[in-house]
Amino acid sequence: MNKVTFIIAEKSYIIRNGLINIINGFPETAVIKEVSDLQLLSETVNKYKPDIVIVNSGLLKGKYESIHGIFQRPKHVKYVILKENEPEHSEMDYFDEMILINEPKDKIIQKIQNLISSKLPEKHKFENNELTVREKDVIRLVALGKTNKEIADLLFISTHTAITHRKNITGKLGIKTVSGLTVYAILNNIISIEEGV
Amino acid sequence: MTISINTKMAEVIHHNFHLIPIISRFNIQFGFGDKTVHDVCLKHDIRPDFFVEIVNAFNNPDYSPTEKLEKIPLYLIVDYLRKSHRYFNLEKLPVIEQLINHLKWNNSNDIKNREILTKFFNEYRKEVTEHTLNEENEIYPFVLYLEECYDKMKKGESFTPIDKGKTIKEYQETHDELSSALLDLKNILIKYLQPAVNSDITDKILIEIFRLEKDMEDHTRIEDTVLIPVALKLERELKKPKV
Repeated sequence: MNKVTFIIAEKSYIIRNGLINIINGFPETAVIKEVSDLQLLSETVNKYKPDIVIVNSGLLKGKYESIHGIFQRPKHVKYVILKENEPEHSEMDYFDEMILINEPKDKIIQKIQNLISSKLPEKHKFENNELTVREKDVIRLVALGKTNKEIADLLFISTHTAITHRKNITGKLGIKTVSGLTVYAILNNIISIEEGV
Repeated sequence: MTISINTKMAEVIHHNFHLIPIISRFNIQFGFGDKTVHDVCLKHDIRPDFFVEIVNAFNNPDYSPTEKLEKIPLYLIVDYLRKSHRYFNLEKLPVIEQLINHLKWNNSNDIKNREILTKFFNEYRKEVTEHTLNEENEIYPFVLYLEECYDKMKKGESFTPIDKGKTIKEYQETHDELSSALLDLKNILIKYLQPAVNSDITDKILIEIFRLEKDMEDHTRIEDTVLIPVALKLERELKKPKV
């Protein structure tokens, strides 16, 4: 299952771990990287493409534009600023959310919950989704032992499209291996047990 | 909690019962009273520092054992990895197989369900066996050979130069396929297979699979973050042109 991913940019070990602890309390989340300086942050964001970045305002030294500049901020990434005091109004223009270090537990948890909820629909876009007719064609051929190239030829699509179908099927079903897809195909009468053996 | 050599061995188990198979892999017997990790290890001829790194690495997936385990001779690490292979192949997988054989469905689907589940599981089991055999017959001996050569080099003894074409690189990738199959098996049982009449067996199978998965992840992590990097380092040292 795809998780909502976080990067935390914060110098203090105690605060970093406090945040990780809170985030790990939610299912389907992962803190993929911790960083402690601004230069590293931009590299890390570009490399790991997280969903949410929490950054201490101290690291930015007031250069809020750098969030847009250095990172060439990808639209889907949400930025959260971590501050000791209430920010000036203009600062908030650069961020999707603000967390104060002294805020009470409930408030912090609520804010993080909202951030995660805003990201989950993207992650779950496959879920509760039936396979399309085309995807059933693909899964049938996979279960019959065909390669991506063969599937592409048989269905008059490009190999690239066949691979995309495979990825979407895995996303929807949570099954990746050929043997696993074969089991699914038999259980759902897409192929007969004789064909699958 | 980070375990140290001064932690009481009983506390280690109380802290995380998933460590029980790890401890038995070291042939440590229960009944250790209030003895510390250090004392219990010495009694069983185990290097306490090695034991501590292994259990901490298991307890905390973010724990990076590389630095400290680098100082442990590779043959000890390989010995531990071999033991966990044996545990997967000879203890855990047979237990899961037996449980699968005990599953029952109502008449019309009984044979079909068992047949496809057994087939999937047998394929997975075969892959695990092949993978572990390959490691034990090819990779581990090569790693140990590197260590032997390196020790000789340090002592100024002569050794046969290692084949420049042979390398430990590009070997980690095979782990992905194995963990995908285990994940598939979980989803087949949780999401897709018709519920069995004796669903308590399904519960047991799932619990076994989740434990096995955790144990295998830990095993892979030690291979990928300790064994391979240390072997690569030895390889570089050994292939350096002599000054």
